Amino acid sequence: MIDIERELEDTLHRVLDPITARPIPHRRELSTGRAFRTVAGGAGAALTLKVAGAVAALAAAVTLTGASLTGSFNPVDWGQQVSATVETCRDNLNSSGAHGIGGCVSAFASQHGKAVSSAAQHHGSGAGTGNGSTNGNANGKSNGNGGAGNGSGSGNSHSNKGNTKTQTRTTPPPKS
Amino acid sequence: MELPAGIRDEAAEHAYTPGSAADFERLYVNTYRRILGTLITLVRDIPTAEDCAQETYERAYRNWSSWRPDAPAEAWLHRIAINVAISDRRHQRIRQAGELIRRLGKPSAGPDPANVAERSVLFDAVQKLPTKQAAALVLRHYHGYTNREIAAALGVPEQTVASRLATARKQLQAVLGRP
Repeated sequence: MIDIERELEDTLHRVLDPITARPIPHRRELSTGRAFRTVAGGAGAALTLKVAGAVAALAAAVTLTGASLTGSFNPVDWGQQVSATVETCRDNLNSSGAHGIGGCVSAFASQHGKAVSSAAQHHGSGAGTGNGSTNGNANGKSNGNGGAGNGSGSGNSHSNKGNTKTQTRTTPPPKS
Repeated sequence: MELPAGIRDEAAEHAYTPGSAADFERLYVNTYRRILGTLITLVRDIPTAEDCAQETYERAYRNWSSWRPDAPAEAWLHRIAINVAISDRRHQRIRQAGELIRRLGKPSAGPDPANVAERSVLFDAVQKLPTKQAAALVLRHYHGYTNREIAAALGVPEQTVASRLATARKQLQAVLGRP
């Protein structure tokens, strides 16, 4: 026998024999204890937490995206508005003979961005000066002249990677 | 034929009826120490080895009615135990990665010395071998299995067993600095 084999046998018996000579414990009844600990403890718990966090983040992202596109937090509204828009775009394309629905749907999203931006403007202009922020692309300027007075208004939306800040300055209505 | 007093009938002692609860209890008592001995070599500490041994018998009991007596029951148990040890090592690696991130570089406390088998360079080297190589070494050099019995226990060809044993010995020799 090779030396290392003999040494290995001696070592294994010297280390293991005292431990295996202990009294035999009662056999554990069938349970799911170990399996449960594997899932609920240690890395299992960390993994579960991460998965739960990811699901929550995904749900939040879907909610915000749906709400920003349709202006409503009700998921039923999102589906209805998008379906209606797609149907309208399809009808328009059929009647015009053009191809590609993407541009039309994109235009809806752009229009909606303006609408939300506008809502933010109104929301922020109660005291004459307001700031609103929303997502979307919207740029608009308006000048108006009344018969007996002057009125002017300007709304600027600055888009930076999808984040639009809207600053509104209003002037008092013309005196009649 | 009746045996003289004091001489055990080993064949009868190790004959088991699949599905019999009483026979499984007898199997447990007859084999627990040897299964534990194997597992201590394959996992990191004694409590883990004891836990894995209980897991082994739980799995075995679930399949006890489908065990076929044409193979030795102990070899069958060893096969289950080695799979349990492989599974435990995998979970241990995942746990260690998680703990490393949680500690962020702080040194770990390490296992309780009372729970660790007696330290020796050779035993440490065996514990660091891949599970299947370490299992082949223990079955061969601690339990005295032949290569054929090891092959039957692990469900692999005899050549594979010989190859694993040779690779394991070479690694041990390298660790010990032997030619």
